[in-house]
Amino acid sequence: MMSTVTRPGVILPYYRATRNTFKSLVFPGAMELFTVAGKAELLIYQCCLSFLFPAPAGTRLAHTDIKIPDFSDYRRPEVLDPRKSSQDSSDTRKAFSYMLTGATAVVGVYAAKTVVTQFVTSMSASADVLALSKIEIKLSDIPEGKNMTFKWRGKPLFVRHRTEKEISTEEAVNIGELRDPQHDKERVINPKWVVVIGVCTHLGCVPIANAGDFGGYYCPCHGSHYDASGRIRRGPAPLNLEVPYYEFLDDNTLVVG
Amino acid sequence: HSFPVLLSLRRGQASVSYAQSLLGAPETQLTALDNGLRVASEDTGHATCTVGLWIGAGSRYENERNNGTGFFLEHMAFKGTKKHTQTALEQQVESMGAHLSAYTSREHTAYYMKTLAKDLPKAVELLSEVVQSCSLNEAEIEQQRGVVLRELEEVESNLQEVCLDLLHATAYQGTPLGQSVMGPSSTASVIKSGLNLTRQDLVEYINIHYKAPRMVLAAAGGVNHEELVGLAKSHMSGVSFEYEGDVVPVLSPCRFTGSDIRMRDDALPLAHVAIAVEGASASSPDIVPLMVANAVIGSYDLTYGGGKHLSSRLARIAVEDKLCHSFQAFSSSYSDTGLLGIYFVSDKHHIDDMMHWSQNAWMNLCTTVTESDVARGRNALKASLVGQLNGTTPICDEIGRHVLNYGRRVPLAEWNARIDAVTPSVLRDVCSKYIYDKCPAVVGVGPIEQLTDYNRIRSAMYWLRF
Repeated sequence: MMSTVTRPGVILPYYRATRNTFKSLVFPGAMELFTVAGKAELLIYQCCLSFLFPAPAGTRLAHTDIKIPDFSDYRRPEVLDPRKSSQDSSDTRKAFSYMLTGATAVVGVYAAKTVVTQFVTSMSASADVLALSKIEIKLSDIPEGKNMTFKWRGKPLFVRHRTEKEISTEEAVNIGELRDPQHDKERVINPKWVVVIGVCTHLGCVPIANAGDFGGYYCPCHGSHYDASGRIRRGPAPLNLEVPYYEFLDDNTLVVG
Repeated sequence: HSFPVLLSLRRGQASVSYAQSLLGAPETQLTALDNGLRVASEDTGHATCTVGLWIGAGSRYENERNNGTGFFLEHMAFKGTKKHTQTALEQQVESMGAHLSAYTSREHTAYYMKTLAKDLPKAVELLSEVVQSCSLNEAEIEQQRGVVLRELEEVESNLQEVCLDLLHATAYQGTPLGQSVMGPSSTASVIKSGLNLTRQDLVEYINIHYKAPRMVLAAAGGVNHEELVGLAKSHMSGVSFEYEGDVVPVLSPCRFTGSDIRMRDDALPLAHVAIAVEGASASSPDIVPLMVANAVIGSYDLTYGGGKHLSSRLARIAVEDKLCHSFQAFSSSYSDTGLLGIYFVSDKHHIDDMMHWSQNAWMNLCTTVTESDVARGRNALKASLVGQLNGTTPICDEIGRHVLNYGRRVPLAEWNARIDAVTPSVLRDVCSKYIYDKCPAVVGVGPIEQLTDYNRIRSAMYWLRF
């Protein structure tokens, strides 16, 4: 490394200064690079190093040597030119950033709402339970005068295909005589079909179809008589048999629930 | 025997009112020579005077290749001219009992002499020689390299300078304003790496920048303007006013970048932190409200005796919670841009709090500043503007800088009128324009682990409540 020859005489004074500078600006943690004692050797080594590398790694000579890196790769186009003031584009840049942030916030809130809703609704009725909530009944399977019982939402459901005689009888009943006054029309959509829940309103037993004194149902537990419209006529029950929500999809299909 | 004083009818009354004294201040006279050189002076009647040349050249006119040339040239200026060797020059100056100094900043360079008023002719002659026919001999250049490098090393320990230099470097990154006045060490280095200065560079610099239209011969003290103009004509008529190839160096705007730079060194005892936004240029009408705003925030250091009763809110908080060792609100303005900021020195456990309260002070200025604060700021500013003109040298410096910046000396009465026009709503509007929701430049030097993250600093530049 003796290729560079320098005359220590002329440059010795400044060299002393730079040597001190050099030492004092070594970063804490960087190794002391020079342990050689000879000043001349040190000088030549330093000169050579400065030839090969602008500044030895781990040290710098002054804070003015710090070069701010060029961030052009990351700059927005409006601020790429260092000879143009950044004030002019400041509003549009801010507007863009805030719009992006605002849009992300909206999307984020929506996503959060979706996640939370999913977790909360997972606590509501499950699919198998919901599947049981409706029942579809083919009406052609039920002959006239017959009452069929179905299991629906854990309770018995009575679907009765009424004869003309039963219909006219029920419609002619004087409501004033009833414990729970309801006209037949209020309890049926199509008078030919009566749909009621088969749970006695007294204490919850299942009435027997086509029994009792009124051509309807009879509860064997405590002797409640219901008519062909499911209304209480005699016995301890206080209310008529409950009529659930139902609708006719077509003439042959009944959906309850 | 103090009775007569107590009984005096005029006790407590100044003999001249403030308004009268403003209007009665001596006028600054301005003349231009044929080659464009301007001569400005104020005759204050002192027995001494300061006379100097203010040149519109500085580190902003340099590029990456020759950054530090102006500073080096300042070192070479007093090392001999074509007519006087260094010893002869020194002997001339010393025998007058004069002081010869110079400074270089980002946009201005100044060579000035403080001397007796009767020595004005000699002073102008020596100054004109220094600027026009500096000898720049090689041996001296080599020697000055060491001096400059030593000065660079010395400045490293002045952490305020380091901090504010780094602030410019990051705020104006990629532009000439980001360069430090002193230049990198490679410029002054003796190692011929192609980056270091040669005599040719210095000569070129003088050729390009030391032109008459960009120079002002300013003087203050017991000087007669006519005499000064005559001296200028005889010594400085030869200063060139033409550019080679008609290439006039024109300053392009410098882009400000909101950014930060952190020089962490846990071995240092105190952290030096500065935060700044882009402020107003020297000639902008907003400069006065911003100066009032800075006066409202004020400054503080441990030697202040006011304690919890200081008028600046930030200072009160700093004292009560021992947040900092010192802080100051500063404003640096250049010809077309500026920096408006707060610089503080604190120990490593209070940096975050101090930053929070500094930005709080800014937000307060933008939103809820009160009439009493603004009145206090106005008065403080007026007092400081007048107070800093204590001597022929500050007055001369102001003349030189004003003529370079504004083309004339702005009189105190005009400053006063502009300051009086600042009301709380004006202050709020101007501060919001420059500070509210803007990206700041932040610098931290020292044990700055606690220095707030940039994103959080940026978020504190606006208030959601507003």
